[in-house]
Amino acid sequence: MVGPQYDFLSNPLGAVRSTFDTAIASGTDPSSFEGRDWGALPLFRRFLFDQSGISQVPLLTPTSIRFLRPHTLVRYRGMIQDMPGNEFYVGAYKDGSVWRTNKFMDVSQYPICSSADTRIWERRLLYCVPVPGLSPWTEVSAEEFGNLSMDWMSDSREKRRRDEESSDAPVSYDEVQDSPNSKRMREGEDSSTSPHSSGAATDIASSATRSGYDIGSNSPPCLVKVYDSPESEMKLNDIFEFVGILTSPELQEDNEDSDLSNGFSEDPLRHFPPNQVPRLHCFIHRKLGIRDFLQNNPTVEPKPDLVKGIREALLRHLTAILGNDDVTSHFMLLHLLSKVHARDNDLAVGKLSLNLTCFKKEAVSVFGKQLTLVLKNLLPFTFCIPLTVEYLNTVSLAPKKNYDTNRLETGVLQLAEGSHLIVDETKLDAGTLNSVGVENCRLLKNLMELQQVEYDFKYYKMDMKTDTQLLILSEGKSNILPADVIVPFHPSSSSCPEAVTAEVLEAWRWYLATVRQLPHSIEQEMQKEVERDLVAARQEDRSLGPQDLSRLLTMGRLMSLSYGETSLSLEHWQMVKELERLRRQRLQ
Amino acid sequence: MASDSSPNFNNGPSSPDDSLSSPIGNTFSSPGSRRRRRSSTPSAFATPSERRSRFASSEATPTAPRSRHGVGGGGRIPPTPTSTTDDAGASSDGGDGYDMDDARPTFVWGTSISVEDVNDAIHRFLRDFREASSSQGDDDGLHLHTEGKYEKLIRQVIEVEGDSLDVNARDVFDHDPDLYTKMVRYPLEVLAIFDLVLMNMVSRLKPMFEKHIQTRIFNLKTSTSMRNLNPSDIERMVSLKGMIIRCSSIIPEIREAIFRCLVCGFCCDPIPVERGRITEPTRCLREECQSRNSMTLVHNRCRFADKQIVRLQETPDQIPEGGTPHTVSLLLHDKLVDTGKPGDRVEVTGIYRAMSVRVGPTQRTVKSLFKTYIDCLHIKKTDKSRMQVEDSMDIDSGSGRNEEEVIFEEEKVARLKEISKRPDVYEILTKSLAPNIWELDDVKKGLLCQLFGGNALKLASGASFRGDINILLVGDPGTSKSQLLQYIHKLSPRGIYTSGRGSSAVGLTAYVAKDPETGETVLESGALVLSDRGICCIDEFDKMSENARSMLHEVMEQQTVSIAKAGIIASLNARTSVLACANPSGSRYNPRLSVIDNIHLPPTLLSRFDLIYLILDKADEQTDRRLAKHIVSLHFDNPENIEQDVLDLSTLTDYVSYARKHIHPQLSDEAAEELTRGYVEIRKRGNFPGSSKKVITATPRQIESLIRLSEALARIRFSEWVEKNDVTEAFRLLEVAMQQSATDHSTGTIDMDLITTGVSASERIRRESLLQATRNLIMEKMQIGGPSMRLLDLLEELKKQETGVSEVHLNDLRNAIGTLATEGFVTMHGDSLKRS
Repeated sequence: MVGPQYDFLSNPLGAVRSTFDTAIASGTDPSSFEGRDWGALPLFRRFLFDQSGISQVPLLTPTSIRFLRPHTLVRYRGMIQDMPGNEFYVGAYKDGSVWRTNKFMDVSQYPICSSADTRIWERRLLYCVPVPGLSPWTEVSAEEFGNLSMDWMSDSREKRRRDEESSDAPVSYDEVQDSPNSKRMREGEDSSTSPHSSGAATDIASSATRSGYDIGSNSPPCLVKVYDSPESEMKLNDIFEFVGILTSPELQEDNEDSDLSNGFSEDPLRHFPPNQVPRLHCFIHRKLGIRDFLQNNPTVEPKPDLVKGIREALLRHLTAILGNDDVTSHFMLLHLLSKVHARDNDLAVGKLSLNLTCFKKEAVSVFGKQLTLVLKNLLPFTFCIPLTVEYLNTVSLAPKKNYDTNRLETGVLQLAEGSHLIVDETKLDAGTLNSVGVENCRLLKNLMELQQVEYDFKYYKMDMKTDTQLLILSEGKSNILPADVIVPFHPSSSSCPEAVTAEVLEAWRWYLATVRQLPHSIEQEMQKEVERDLVAARQEDRSLGPQDLSRLLTMGRLMSLSYGETSLSLEHWQMVKELERLRRQRLQ
Repeated sequence: MASDSSPNFNNGPSSPDDSLSSPIGNTFSSPGSRRRRRSSTPSAFATPSERRSRFASSEATPTAPRSRHGVGGGGRIPPTPTSTTDDAGASSDGGDGYDMDDARPTFVWGTSISVEDVNDAIHRFLRDFREASSSQGDDDGLHLHTEGKYEKLIRQVIEVEGDSLDVNARDVFDHDPDLYTKMVRYPLEVLAIFDLVLMNMVSRLKPMFEKHIQTRIFNLKTSTSMRNLNPSDIERMVSLKGMIIRCSSIIPEIREAIFRCLVCGFCCDPIPVERGRITEPTRCLREECQSRNSMTLVHNRCRFADKQIVRLQETPDQIPEGGTPHTVSLLLHDKLVDTGKPGDRVEVTGIYRAMSVRVGPTQRTVKSLFKTYIDCLHIKKTDKSRMQVEDSMDIDSGSGRNEEEVIFEEEKVARLKEISKRPDVYEILTKSLAPNIWELDDVKKGLLCQLFGGNALKLASGASFRGDINILLVGDPGTSKSQLLQYIHKLSPRGIYTSGRGSSAVGLTAYVAKDPETGETVLESGALVLSDRGICCIDEFDKMSENARSMLHEVMEQQTVSIAKAGIIASLNARTSVLACANPSGSRYNPRLSVIDNIHLPPTLLSRFDLIYLILDKADEQTDRRLAKHIVSLHFDNPENIEQDVLDLSTLTDYVSYARKHIHPQLSDEAAEELTRGYVEIRKRGNFPGSSKKVITATPRQIESLIRLSEALARIRFSEWVEKNDVTEAFRLLEVAMQQSATDHSTGTIDMDLITTGVSASERIRRESLLQATRNLIMEKMQIGGPSMRLLDLLEELKKQETGVSEVHLNDLRNAIGTLATEGFVTMHGDSLKRS
């Protein structure tokens, strides 16, 4: 194909349109698309990935939203918080004798003449929010980003101008009819060269911050419209990166008029006012894992010696943070690497929740704070719950469906996969739990034991599977939250850990994110050995239940993973047994 | 009319039959409305009587003059806000099609469906359809002597002056698959004709019948999932299941308006709604008056119809992992209004429709969006997705109401029957029950029996025998008792799960409360009453308060809860199976103590459990090894791979509910004989040759349990007869359970006395001999009125000379002394005793 006559970044709709026209011209009947792609997506894919255009696509953030103009290509990262359902729209229609498409658009540009043929297609709505508990280090530094976007803006502006002049396409996006807002916008553009002038866009920005999903403010909530993707691909609480067209809040939706709407008022969009929640018509989406949040995502092969070095350094650091408590820091490392890797009915295999006991109030102020800080620096999504009676009695932990607004109201426990949760139980005093509190305790316990959270849909509850690492700090053994491993915390000093350079930190993050994704297996012989050991342990101590044995195996797995190895070796198994012995010693 | 009937074959350029893939293709806002109008053509010549407007007015006067004109289906369009339809109508009506005269067949617009053909087909169906058994009376012309099913139904409707006729879509399919297909694909048109034909028949049967009768189709062959509704379903008849989550208030919708002239007081004829609008006459219609803009609406002379909008949501079982439930709106009219309330599970048959969204109230522009909803034809309430609640465990009350309940889909039933035919069905079900819980096969078998249950029996004399099987699990901590309970709770109909520690007596049974609104005292059901016909799972049974536990006596045998408080005396049904689990009294099972001592529950309660399982954590290396292997494979293999041949939860639920509902096994003679024989044998076992002591090994309660168990076992096989094997297995189950619980640890025999009195026979003998020994010793050592003796000294003495009794505890001695004291033989003062 010759150089495209449209700019992907500033006029993506141009690409959509031109491919559509091409497809129609080649004799395809629009009804045969049935909403499927007609050749626009490969174009974008090529631009974004093969020509690595993705780095040029600006990220949608509260800051950038001021600069971004509607109908341009943007990137958005967020967690799927709610799925308002599907939307039927006029996908293709005939304007006179010309077929037009509405795909990737909110409103049709031409009045849809009723005499024209129309085709109804379907798209999916996803309500996305910034990932809860996102650590600041995952953000692109604002300054850098600002520059980038400014450059891009002026650049694209020129391009667009040129585009408009040269383009022989009869319309460009801002000739949208019936949209007073866009007209106003154009006027604004003309009168001022400052990108801030785009009134509507500023609206988005200010209100987005205001309307707030205020956990982590690095991106606004966003309503993403997804086309042509199988339903099973996207699940609630998945983190995705969407590349698509940002649309402006030009139309105040007003559904109050017709007699039907008083009952149909549960139009999903009504509760996402467009001036607060920007819309994104998604071209391409991809699922993000923890690794994608690393700053400069080095794609280094996890070589054992490299991994080992990082492991030692990280362990040293953790030990220092934990007041030279060697055993605890080992367990901490294993805990940080844990991940649910399989489920057998209700059983989540691979989780390793950790309960650090003997945390006196004063210890919390020293070690607890440091620990929280370190974890925030190491992990992309962290969250801390200070458990008090009042908190338990008031907070809504589980997401709840509100049928009045037809929205899933988020709860604290609606977390993305791989989140880390610290529950600080040291502040818990005696008190009475009300029914909410009891329910919340149950939820926490379920999360702990089964790694699932019950979402309340009022008429029924639904278990959603999660994968959350849980760390509990408590004075005695926590009864509310029965963790997998209980380690009495015995600090011997409270030396301040030495400062860590950014590169080292970077390496640790990479280590934690990479190593835990490694596959794992066990040799036949080793399996026999392990089985023998388990049987012996159980013969010796009848109180060992299946859970304890399961925990030992999890630890074995994590131990060898922490060395970057993919199969359990005898050495690591011995280490686990030794670690377990030390822990048991402490418990007595 | 001619222009009206123009068969628009002119949408040609795209493709003439694309209506298949996208039936909405043509009109913009509410495509059906236009097509609908076309189809109304036949009405013009078929009958001048009431036209369909089925979703709008039902009690319209049958001879409304408006049927002459093709007025958009007389308000059939209400869901369509006035939109561009008008233009649509105008432009296409403009005669770009070719006109046709009435002699040629009329086609439903845009299709090749001939109105006459459909008309005839429906007529034939209504007249001739008979249930499969009667005859093949499909030949028109031939009028059979028996009345057709629907003719009969129509007569009934006329008799009760009903306003709708329920038509089973399966009947339509059986009679005429072609008609069925047409009906599902073009419901608006076909239903309109259906109504017409129906009204024709009605007027033939009873000429003076004034009401309009609507056809309500239900029970489509295929049911769509809400998730799979897509644009190609628009304008088709669909059937889906879901749960009502919101109901709007009832909206009065105007059907006909009457205007009055303010100047002369003249009232105009009723003006029907046209495409959702009523046009106010601009001038008085009376020739003498003719004043302009004088007409005003007379509200109380207008005719309104009820309308309600209901929101339907997917039920949890339809939601894939990681999804949120989808919802869809339903539009209900007239009689359907208020048929369901939030929380109801319903099956809805209706027409899926789309409606464009207008940008503003005044603007004509429409957004490119559509709202979708379902125009409801029929709503059927369905039961919960769990096991059928209203299973007919006791036969006499159950049989009457079965008809309305969920009919199991045929293929499903066939699949279940397939399973039941497998020789290893019992094993498979056992394996499928809580597959993640290790071992405990016999316990699972017991639980399986509990799920299936026996037959309840009510004798003419009023005596009733329960069919529910009660099970108690006693075991060491960490033996996954609670998990078993949770699992059963998930599986059972109306299961209630409570924990003994948190349950009070009233919480379990029923309590009287003041209604906050009316101030009346009302009876609120507790857990046991709520789990009527289900299984009540009680965890931590041992930690329950004495008071609460005693409430269970009545429930577990009589299956009722009687209440007498606050002026309310009532006896509530609580036909529930109880599944309880408890820890041994010392938290760990002490093998040296008897079961009663271990469980520490009153024997009266204990005897009401059919099966008592001791789940002990035995130090068995074999088991340990298997456990270790299982856990290792769990961690290192894909857990899916190690799953063996088990049924999933929903199949199991279906299986159980089907069996409970449809299978009522009876004892065969052979089985009865076996039962008697086995019972006698167990009783005999208590008589040791050469032993004087008498051990009761079974009581009448056990034989009842055995009957229940064997009935349940027959049910598992879907067999109507209890066979000998079932009885043998029941004996085995009972024995396994009893062996563990009722074994006398000192002799090793089964002793029902342990359960019924808490003291085993050998224990009683031992006590007897100790008492004798003590008496002898005191006689020997002490004189009447002599010095007192310390209890400990006595114990020493006793131990010295004791030979027959192996070991004597201070407690035993104290008991013996106590007995002697009551005889007046000795007196006790603290720790010392005196001969009196």
